[in-house]
Amino acid sequence: MFFHMVLERNMQLHPRHFGRDLREKLVAKLMKDVEGTCSGRHGFVVGITGIENVGKGLIRDGTGFVTFPVKYQCVVFRPFKGEILEAVVTMVNKMGFFAEAGPVQIFVSNHLIPDDMEFQSGDMPNYTTSDRSVKIEKESEVRLKIIGTRVDATEIFCIGTIKDDFLGVLGGDQ
Amino acid sequence: MSHRRRDDDDDDEDVEPEEDEEEALDEEEEEEDEGKSGRKRRRSEFIDDVAEEDEDEEEEEDEDDDFYNGGGGGGRRGGHRPKRRSASQFIDEEAQVDSDGEEEEEDGEDDFIVDGGADLQDEDDGRRMHRRTLLPREDDQVDVEALERSIQARYARSSHIEYDEETTDVEQQALLPSVRDPKLWMVKCAIGREREAAVCLMQKYIDKGSELQIRSAIALDHLKNYIYVEADKEAHVKEACKGLRVIYANTKITLVPIKEMTDVLSVESKAIDLSRDTWVRMKIGTYKGDLAKVVDVDNVRQRVTVKLIPRIDLQALANKLEGREVPKKKAFVPPARFMNVDEAREMHIRVERRRDPMTGDYFENISGMMFKDGFLYKTVSMKSISSQNIQPTFDELEKFRQPGENGDGDMASLSTLFANRKKGHFMKGDQVIIVKGDLRNLKGWVEKVEEDNVHIRPNAEGLPKTLAVNEKELCKYFEPGNHVKVVSGASEGATGMVIKVEGHIVIILSDTTKEHIRVFADNVAESSEVTSGVTRIGDYELHDLVMLDNMSFGVIIRVESEAFQVLKGVPERPEVALVKLREIKCKLDRRTHAQDHSKNPVSVKDVVRIVEGPCKGNQGPVEHIFRGILFIYDRHHLEHAGFICAKSQSCIVVGGSRGNGDRNGDTLASRFSHLRTPTRVPQSPGRLPRGAPLDSGARHRGGRGHDPLVGTTVKVRQGPFKGYRGRVVDVKVDRHHISDNVAVSTPYRSVPRYGTGSETPMHPSRTPLHPYMTPMRDPGATPIHDGMRTPMRDRAWNPYTPMSPPRDNWEDANPGSWGTSPQYQPGSPPSRTYEAPTPGSGWANTPGGNYSEAGTPRDNSHAYANAPSPYLPSTPGGQPMTPSSASYLPGTPGGQPMTPGSGGLDVMSPVVGGDNEGLWALPDILVNVRRSGEDTVIGVVREVLPDGSCRINLGSSGNGDTVVALSSEIDIVVPRKSDKVKIMGGAQRGSTGKLIGIDGSDGIVKEDATFEVKILEMNILAKVAQS
Repeated sequence: MFFHMVLERNMQLHPRHFGRDLREKLVAKLMKDVEGTCSGRHGFVVGITGIENVGKGLIRDGTGFVTFPVKYQCVVFRPFKGEILEAVVTMVNKMGFFAEAGPVQIFVSNHLIPDDMEFQSGDMPNYTTSDRSVKIEKESEVRLKIIGTRVDATEIFCIGTIKDDFLGVLGGDQ
Repeated sequence: MSHRRRDDDDDDEDVEPEEDEEEALDEEEEEEDEGKSGRKRRRSEFIDDVAEEDEDEEEEEDEDDDFYNGGGGGGRRGGHRPKRRSASQFIDEEAQVDSDGEEEEEDGEDDFIVDGGADLQDEDDGRRMHRRTLLPREDDQVDVEALERSIQARYARSSHIEYDEETTDVEQQALLPSVRDPKLWMVKCAIGREREAAVCLMQKYIDKGSELQIRSAIALDHLKNYIYVEADKEAHVKEACKGLRVIYANTKITLVPIKEMTDVLSVESKAIDLSRDTWVRMKIGTYKGDLAKVVDVDNVRQRVTVKLIPRIDLQALANKLEGREVPKKKAFVPPARFMNVDEAREMHIRVERRRDPMTGDYFENISGMMFKDGFLYKTVSMKSISSQNIQPTFDELEKFRQPGENGDGDMASLSTLFANRKKGHFMKGDQVIIVKGDLRNLKGWVEKVEEDNVHIRPNAEGLPKTLAVNEKELCKYFEPGNHVKVVSGASEGATGMVIKVEGHIVIILSDTTKEHIRVFADNVAESSEVTSGVTRIGDYELHDLVMLDNMSFGVIIRVESEAFQVLKGVPERPEVALVKLREIKCKLDRRTHAQDHSKNPVSVKDVVRIVEGPCKGNQGPVEHIFRGILFIYDRHHLEHAGFICAKSQSCIVVGGSRGNGDRNGDTLASRFSHLRTPTRVPQSPGRLPRGAPLDSGARHRGGRGHDPLVGTTVKVRQGPFKGYRGRVVDVKVDRHHISDNVAVSTPYRSVPRYGTGSETPMHPSRTPLHPYMTPMRDPGATPIHDGMRTPMRDRAWNPYTPMSPPRDNWEDANPGSWGTSPQYQPGSPPSRTYEAPTPGSGWANTPGGNYSEAGTPRDNSHAYANAPSPYLPSTPGGQPMTPSSASYLPGTPGGQPMTPGSGGLDVMSPVVGGDNEGLWALPDILVNVRRSGEDTVIGVVREVLPDGSCRINLGSSGNGDTVVALSSEIDIVVPRKSDKVKIMGGAQRGSTGKLIGIDGSDGIVKEDATFEVKILEMNILAKVAQS
């Protein structure tokens, strides 16, 4: 799920950036630092949409760096248990397949793939139904339901299922 | 019929506890119980209390002569029978016989033995014939009344007993024996005849009556050679035992202490008595350790029928059956697999199909072994199986599961598993499911745990708030998506997310290995922690880079119970080895660097993409670097715990090195290093002698860590390894292993950089380790420079590298970069000087006394020879630093220039010992002077100048021209036997002696001053000029 929220961060800026465009430099650095990161609490920071305010800078002893507390608005993405997501399959193996929904990696175990789909090894490993009408392989788009999440400091890992109504491969022949 | 009788007999025993004594007897005479039990049954069914009493009186009279007739049953019988008959006139035939039995059992023990033996034939026959017709029909009808009574008696008794059992502990305590009670005496008897002895005593008691003052005799099954006799006095026991053959009355009779009396008679309770469907393990034989399932228990014979997965070598069996000679292979245990009857038939093994008369099941019989559904059914003694603490592993259970059986089928295994549960298995808050009984499949949460009962809060409507459920009916329950930790079993410690729940089995996706783990729900607990299970054994942890026994290396990708899985450092293909702890030599924890496809430096934690080889396209941070091989962690890579091994040259650094946060690859570091170099010159001129910061950019780009010499063939020229040829495996390692005192040169002499560049930094690193050698140097200087100045500069000028002072140092210090730096190469004429290391030259004069007591400068020649390389006029950029400058004079020249660099160098070459000190030339020694473009000329050192060069008089006796030669241009002349020598290093440095022998690389020297004979290394000995 996406959220638009305000976060705060202390930015350190090198003195050489001090000048008229200090603010721009700060924002650029903020974007570089923050976008794409993941915190367990908020999920992935997808993008910064605006700066609320920039606090007073504090020069740090010994280095000359200045620390600014910056409040910024951003869009975060955090997967939840039970959420339905659409994802792109990135890898298929006999244990199941991995899919990515934006920054989130989701694993769908073969136990959570409908029983009529069987693993076919080969050049392009895939899961296929017995009548070959449905095929899950790399680059397929699937709709899945998240049944569990594990949140690390730098990563959110999910387990999904397609063993439910209206889940499975999207588009194409369906 | 005989069956029925026996059954009934058993029943009787159960309900008539007053017959304790007899029961012992019954068992004793199992073989004979056909006839006897027949009577017994009748007795119990048809007891007529009145009749009983009558007979009791009568018995009293009988007793005496019975005893005396005891020896000959036959004779006695005649007189006895009629008597009884007459006694039982007023009861009908059936009852009479019954009471007959009764009398024998209850009171008429007199002729017990006789009955069992001699009586048998005629009486039994007669009776059987008689009964067979009567029993089924008439018995039931006629004796309904008697039956009813007996049942009543039975139940009345049992209810009474129940009542008794409810006695409180206090009352129980009151029953314990006290001093006033009769005592127990332990009497020795013949082994194996304990029961007989007890029976004899009983017989005697019966015969003699109150004459015998013992109260009871006890034979215990588990106690051999002894029986217990209960009596008030020892004399009574002795008296009772007198005349009995089986009892050794003359041996000592021991008193059982009051406290132990209860133990004698308390029944040893078996913790788990074997019942069907429990899991056991075989203790002996071919199947030792194998899991087996109990299918039948014969408590009487102490035998169990178990179901096993057969371990049968069909071929061997076939051979045996056909009478062929089978070569006996002892240690071979055939693998467990299911018996395939067809296969057996193909091998011409006779397979019979038989029906088991008891169960009605069909078995395949192959040479006496019974098979069913591929399992072997085997009857074994209870002693040969163990039933305690059986924890069947998952695989084993899986094997046992028959195709038809579904998840519910192995309820049996469940019960076994539950039996093995630890205490405190359930905890408040656990989610549980009921697996047995009416409430099956009800889920709930544990609220409270008592002994065996667990109070759960059900999650269904309309149920009481809490339910008390027996712990055995409960199983932990998890839902897919739960994050759990395995708390026991094979994969203990692993964490993961529940993917699927199948009955009491949970499938978990491991966090680290991304593999499926199947575990019992019982072995799992909910947890938010993330681990991979056991992550370390000994000093080695998961993901460590380790050196293995055979000099190969690899990353630990998995820690198993006693071994590691190691992904070896072979870039061509992933090679995984299973290694034991002892096979690991050491942990490799060095921070090395390598260069990537486009010669950019790669360091640990840099993100690289693989551009060549089997894993092309993978990308991830570098976790380890060793010998030019990178171990990359790609989280998308599922195999080998995400680790990929690749050559550094087949990778490309993505997004810049960590060290320089700059994204546009071409290293701020190098840009800054330009900046840095000039700053450094004034600050730390000492750096310069180490040569080469002339073109630091080039240097940075230059091969870091990966010396081009790697892979070339070299020959060791000096030292104990002299003459050895070998491939350069790694520059660093080589240094540790061979180059301490060895100059290594390539066969292609044109570019002998190895001995030079790469060795150079070694020396400085050593210097600071020996402060006494450079006493004037301020020990604090080095750290100051490194620890403070450099990083500060970095911070100040390079905001992107705030974290990387070590790396910067590293770059400068990296031997590889020196080795490859091109400035040495372009046909610099003096390069020859590197070739032949000139030990202890230029530096020699200055240090003078300072160094005289310096450590043992073993052949460090090359280090020294190389160190001054920048001084050489020919080295481009060397000139400005030619050490004639005054800056080197103060303090200990030669020592000091190295100092600044040393801090950084320490980082990478801490191993080198102090024994590698330079050989400072000393006056009077003979040297070979090599000058560019000229032949070597012999000369005598006359004076050592402060800058390290020497004034040398050419000629073997020093009467030629005087020249000044740099230390790098001179070689010590190796002394021969009986030459006069000067010791160039060690505590005796400067002293002279005579070389009286050479032993390998050691020389035996007799010192002039002390006349002591010393063994010194040849390379610290210099020939002294003859004057």
